[in-house]
Amino acid sequence: MTKFIIRRLLWTIPVLLLVVLFTFLMMRQIKGNPFRKTERAVPASIQRNLDRKFHLDQPWYVQYGEYVKGVFTADLGPSLVLRNQSVNDIVKSHFPVSLELGALAFLFAIVVGIPLGVLAALRANKPTDYVAMLVANIGFAVPSFLVATLLIYYCSVKWNIGLPTSGWSTWQSKILPSIALGFLPMAYFARLVRGTMLETLQQDYVRTARAKGLRWRRVVGLHVLRNSLIPVVTAAGPLLGGVITGSFIIESIFAIPGIGRYYVNSVTARDYSVTMGLTILYAVIVIFANLVVDILYGFLDPRTREARA
Amino acid sequence: MRTRSSIVLAALLVAVAALVAAGCGGGSSSSSSGSGGGSGKLAADQTITIAWGSEPPSLDPGLATDTTSANVLLNIMDPLVKLDPKTLKPLPSLAQSWDQKGNTVTFHLRKDGKWTNGQPVTANDFAYSWLRTISPQLGADYAYQFFGIKGAEAYNSCDPKKQDCNAMKSKVGISAPDKYTLKVQLTSAQPWFIQQVAHTSFLAVNRQAVERWGDKWTEPSHIVTDGPFKLAVWKHDAEIDLAKWSGWRNAKDVKLQRANGKIITDGTTAVQSFDAGEVQVNTTGIPPSDIPREKTQDTYQNYPALGTYYYGLNVKNVPLQERKALAFAIDRKSIIDHIAQADQVPATSFTPKGIPGFSDIKTDYLQPTADVSKAKSLLGKTPNANKNITLFVNDAPGHKEIAIAVQSQWKKLGINTTIKVMEWAQYLQFLGPPPNQAVDAYRNGWIGDFVDDINFLQLWTCKSGNNNSNYCDPKYDALVKKAENTTDNAARYKIYAQLENMLTGPNGAFPFVPVYWYTYVTQEATSVKDSFNVNLLDQFDLSKVRVTS
Repeated sequence: MTKFIIRRLLWTIPVLLLVVLFTFLMMRQIKGNPFRKTERAVPASIQRNLDRKFHLDQPWYVQYGEYVKGVFTADLGPSLVLRNQSVNDIVKSHFPVSLELGALAFLFAIVVGIPLGVLAALRANKPTDYVAMLVANIGFAVPSFLVATLLIYYCSVKWNIGLPTSGWSTWQSKILPSIALGFLPMAYFARLVRGTMLETLQQDYVRTARAKGLRWRRVVGLHVLRNSLIPVVTAAGPLLGGVITGSFIIESIFAIPGIGRYYVNSVTARDYSVTMGLTILYAVIVIFANLVVDILYGFLDPRTREARA
Repeated sequence: MRTRSSIVLAALLVAVAALVAAGCGGGSSSSSSGSGGGSGKLAADQTITIAWGSEPPSLDPGLATDTTSANVLLNIMDPLVKLDPKTLKPLPSLAQSWDQKGNTVTFHLRKDGKWTNGQPVTANDFAYSWLRTISPQLGADYAYQFFGIKGAEAYNSCDPKKQDCNAMKSKVGISAPDKYTLKVQLTSAQPWFIQQVAHTSFLAVNRQAVERWGDKWTEPSHIVTDGPFKLAVWKHDAEIDLAKWSGWRNAKDVKLQRANGKIITDGTTAVQSFDAGEVQVNTTGIPPSDIPREKTQDTYQNYPALGTYYYGLNVKNVPLQERKALAFAIDRKSIIDHIAQADQVPATSFTPKGIPGFSDIKTDYLQPTADVSKAKSLLGKTPNANKNITLFVNDAPGHKEIAIAVQSQWKKLGINTTIKVMEWAQYLQFLGPPPNQAVDAYRNGWIGDFVDDINFLQLWTCKSGNNNSNYCDPKYDALVKKAENTTDNAARYKIYAQLENMLTGPNGAFPFVPVYWYTYVTQEATSVKDSFNVNLLDQFDLSKVRVTS
């Protein structure tokens, strides 16, 4: 297991270098000028000063080399647009917020989604199942920005039950965004758990366990649920990455100072260093989320552990 | 198992019911405004919360380029001159007076200006700050604001790797003969220079703070300011709170104790925060879909702006009479009423309404509505008319919708329009400079930096980097040059009228079609509505705001 983890960690280095190279080259391919934000043309002397200041006047391989050196010394460079901030500053002040939002949304998805799926499977084709799957289908079909807008409209404006429309400071302000962001993964988990549970319930070992006279609760808790969760864990890795990184819309609707919007806005603004810094950050997150998933497999299914050793 | 599962299920059912109800029940509107009616009496609590439309990219006056940064800066710093909110004439602020002899302008500073670190504000602070912004090392986007000053452009163009920039710095026409006198030598008379100095790039910075903290001097714990408010809190992308500074030279006249700010970029959220009473002023704006509903509220406010939304026409691809025909075929009023919706004003000239000297301009050749028969007859006189126009717009909300309306209006003349949509950064590079020959027509806008028509009319000179229409008339350029050296306002406004006439008059060249003049839309609680005002440059002065009960 240790060997496996070390090997996986070493692999992240070439992956990261490639990610940096591709992002670097692609950002240079899209046209646009980071220093021209409005319709006003930038006078030649000012453009030259800015290019010189941010080393954009040097050949691309020199810039790339400097950048890679920076990455390995944990310096992601200055932002070209937010002139008083470095990419490190941006990550430091905004990433924890996105992490918290993602974690809360994920928690909501698991705490609501898995029981919903279990219930639906145990009461398959009964009213309970239909209601649970209706919820799941709504969660699947309705986009998060609509869920968010409706939540704000009803909970904050119309009924005014003490939840603010926006911000990220008090615990009250964290409820609506977490639900809005966690709604789709919740629906996804519910459907996934229902499907795999139904399949597991048909397995021979379940029949054996029941025939042995084990209590039904124990059969479900120990045998059925544990075996049904493997696909959930598989899906959870990328989903967790997606929830943490894909919160751009929710962050801007709820005015949350997270990092998702920087990712999108930096591309539109051609803020090269921010785009590259955040791409590296996300690559690291996805790599680690997948690593954690692989380790969890080992606990849930010993067979995969042996195959790897 | 059974009982517990039914509790879980019940909880879930409630959640679903709420969402389903939400899905069906939309459409009704709420109308709770921020505060109670304004009786005119000063409220005990002089605190407001503002929704700001974006995170300020920089609070360094040398580096700020956007409206949010400008509005924060103008309230925490002390400019040399302020603009009268109504007439836009320069009013004394930190400069108690000024005079201009030929190309030399002298500002006489008040002696009671003070920084929050206790130092006095002197002419040296301004000389230091201006030279810092012009310097090639800072890389200021707005260094060009100073290019009217002698030697400034040369110093900004200096390459520190190859040249001795200090020698060029010493030749820039900015000096402080004594602590309270600031002398500026201009390249020409530039009668608008005094007004231009109201711009944020001409604010002073505190040398000690800048040198001590470097790039980080604008953080609330480091920043040193000299205006009516202090930067109390700045949580990036979340909150920006300004607190009254009792040490300001005129603090006794400032009623507002605190202006808290929430940074809300999404228009719908800003409207909802206002409706929920969380903010008293929404400067983020109102999305077009919400405007018809919000317009009926007495909290809705609409201010004229110094900006023109226009459709540029490539004069090399579209012949003169056809350009005129296209201008007459556009129904500005219906575009505003049905698409733009924010009470914009139909534009019949490039010069926006409200700018000094506007009344000298005859703007009755074009009309707010379309004149299709006139357009058709103009087009009939054009044998080589371009019947297939390629129109470029950028992908921000609303532009494509307007382009579709224009497409159908031009269709009435038998002209087929192909609309191409591009992302903003690519769009800017695509349009030029140099102007792109593949373009027949393009959407653009121009917002004034300072209150003089030269800011608009200069755009159509041959060498202007913002003239993407290939229009170049030496007579026009010569007249612009003449205006730059005409200090008498009345005489200069006459020249502006001539210039505008060369663009949109009966014999005008029409390198563009004016569509509308911008407006700024806000929501203001009745408790601050009387004292909160936005001027033509989208600026507001919090030192004048008073909360009534």
